[in-house]
Amino acid sequence: MSVRAFEGLKVLEFGGGAAGPIAIRHLADHGATVIRVESRQRPDFLRLLAQSARNRDLDNAPFFTMLNCNKLSVALNLNDPRGVALAKKLVRWADVVAENFAPKAMRKWGLDYESLVALRPDLVMVSTCLMGQTGPRKDYPGFGGQGSAISGFNFLTGWPDREATGQHGTITDSLAPRFVAAALVAALIRRRKTGRGLYIDVAQTETAAYSLSGWLLEHLANGDVVGRDGNRSRFAAPHGAFPCKGTDRWCTIACHSDDDWRRLVAAIGRPAWAAERRFTTLAGRKANEADLELRLAEWTREREPWDVVHALQEAGIDAGVVETDRDLHEDPQLAHRGHFRLMRHAVIGEHPVEALGYRLSETPGEITRPGPRLGEHADLVYREILGLSDAEIAHLEREGVLQ
Amino acid sequence: MARCLDGHRILDLTDERGFLCGRMLADLGADVVKVEPPGGDAVRGRGPFAGRTPDPERSIPWLAYNAGKRGITLDVTRPRGREILDRLCASADALVESYDPDALRDARLDYASVAARHPHLVLCSISPFGRSGPHAGYRGSDLTVTAMGGNMALTGDPDRAPLRCTMPSSYFHGGAEAATGLLIALYARDAVGRGQHVDVSLQAAMVSTIMTGASQWWQHRRDRGRSGALYVVGNTLQREVWRCRDGFVSYALRGGPARIPGLVATAKWMAEEGIDAPAWNRDWSAYNHNNLTQAEVDELSRPLQVLFDRKTMRELFAGAIERGLMLAPVNDAREIAASEQLAARSFFAEIRDEGRGLSYSLPARFARASDVEMDVRGPAPRLGEHNAAVYGEIGIRDAELADLRREGVV
Repeated sequence: MSVRAFEGLKVLEFGGGAAGPIAIRHLADHGATVIRVESRQRPDFLRLLAQSARNRDLDNAPFFTMLNCNKLSVALNLNDPRGVALAKKLVRWADVVAENFAPKAMRKWGLDYESLVALRPDLVMVSTCLMGQTGPRKDYPGFGGQGSAISGFNFLTGWPDREATGQHGTITDSLAPRFVAAALVAALIRRRKTGRGLYIDVAQTETAAYSLSGWLLEHLANGDVVGRDGNRSRFAAPHGAFPCKGTDRWCTIACHSDDDWRRLVAAIGRPAWAAERRFTTLAGRKANEADLELRLAEWTREREPWDVVHALQEAGIDAGVVETDRDLHEDPQLAHRGHFRLMRHAVIGEHPVEALGYRLSETPGEITRPGPRLGEHADLVYREILGLSDAEIAHLEREGVLQ
Repeated sequence: MARCLDGHRILDLTDERGFLCGRMLADLGADVVKVEPPGGDAVRGRGPFAGRTPDPERSIPWLAYNAGKRGITLDVTRPRGREILDRLCASADALVESYDPDALRDARLDYASVAARHPHLVLCSISPFGRSGPHAGYRGSDLTVTAMGGNMALTGDPDRAPLRCTMPSSYFHGGAEAATGLLIALYARDAVGRGQHVDVSLQAAMVSTIMTGASQWWQHRRDRGRSGALYVVGNTLQREVWRCRDGFVSYALRGGPARIPGLVATAKWMAEEGIDAPAWNRDWSAYNHNNLTQAEVDELSRPLQVLFDRKTMRELFAGAIERGLMLAPVNDAREIAASEQLAARSFFAEIRDEGRGLSYSLPARFARASDVEMDVRGPAPRLGEHNAAVYGEIGIRDAELADLRREGVV
């Protein structure tokens, strides 16, 4: 096995859902030991998403399992002072504490940064909630769906003549973790150099609004509010998704320059319509875009999506297959990167886990264990890490502290 | 005040696909040096422009995503330019690039060449599909990688084409993912004893935006299609974006026990408004959104739409906060710029851009920390603004710089 970037780094994770846990994958995949502190009274809601009349098993939770690979899990009742005391023991063990509760939760348990840094002076701690730890709306309780709405991503996705639909997926849940992880690793770089810890506050909605800086500056500088425009771009035409042969099959085609357009015209066999002068410049193609899209669709409609894309890419044109979930599993490029890795979980069985978006050549990320069952690692954590005796563990178990 | 990445230098040779990565690293404290071709980056010519008049110094994407970096010009396609880039690399910790494959070869910035000359350097590549593999040579802008990353097939209305977001969201996911990978490689440098290649794929970054959807397909083997502003939940379609009096709000019937107090509060609100909502008169302790039938979803949705149609986005959000509902306004740029929450957290900073004679407000930070700064450090560089300073730091004196200018290398 190669050297791992975070070998020996110890991370304690509180909270649940997606945005916090996804961020910590960046550490877990690169060798950190990550312990998730969970609760049986108030389970991570991702453990409940697949619950139904037939499934009441908190470990039968594919969404949770797929997001939390490489982590250990213990159950701990933080509403019992003995539970909080154990959590504090784990904080002494940890280099990093990560949490994504609403701001008041950690304070209520006495697990806020001020309390924890007294136990571990070089602690790096990150809190990430929807709106941030301060400000008049800090306690606003929302999920990623609300985050996408508040930060502009919903408004910007849809057809101009219809309601905003938002991009599929709760976008702040996938976007914010990348920022949380970057800030966290920067703090670890600083800690190694200076010996000092740090407290970091990442508001998920702010990472999204920061990403949209260009859109916001267009308003702040010029007063303009750019709205959703289907797939069109101000800077390219054609720029859209076009129907292909088959049921609900599509490809994308984009011409960013007049050279691109000339190559496209050649690649589709120089039909008479494409030679029309009104299409030769970007301004002309923008002015006649609806017509252009209809004509191009007549060509794509007769062809399989991959045939279109291979042919156009060969000609140097920016084009893609609108891939379905199934296509992603058959995509040769994702396969080349080992994007989906098969894991075996005691309850949900064999299932894929997705790799991160980057590959490191010398310290590659690895997925060595599936997402944990709730409390699966009680023995390892309470006995081996905290050094509790069997009698102590049995007592705490009976008293409901390890719930 | 100190910053996390003080003392680190990062060369930024990206186009718009990678701008955000360097912006984050600059905010975190790295000396990020933007290296542009002598004619300037492509977005300088494309706009939109601050003040609406075309001017390469007023390109909005340039100003927004390169703020806080230093800027130099260099023609890396010429031997003399490559020689200078080598000297810059010797002074840097990392280099981040997003070249198209041909330009990458011309600049000799493929990993094998870079590693041979600069083993200490972290090379971060941001490309549509990754730097190796069957599609490594394919072109890919936001539209294409959003399609090939699986998000597009699920976004939009069922009766029309699949959709992307009108702003290039893959560049944000990919840029922030790149910053994380690059920093992990920097962190690992002590243990490994050398730099390494951080190979970012925008396509792979986009797959994770569908939140394990692709992985879950492996179990149920059903392609889901698009459902517009509705979400597929269990065997039903449940609305996520709702019309209101002056716009749209986000609200959902799904989400587990954490959502139930908000549902109860919603029922109370409708009752106070005198809205007839029999479906909301139920035992909420047993509520599970997965067990609803479509008829039940429709019965719950109908009175809710009546409530929303009566109120503005602002009224609904104020009510949501007061009553503890998980409801949010579908904000546009105006509402975000006017947000009291963002103002209270100094999210926007006023940039006095004296070099351009401009002043504008800009998102200043993606995070804040207890005793280091993480905010924007100044305006984006003008074309070649820091040539004298940066080249001076690697020992290129005025006379040599003048030569390079004459040759068109700088």
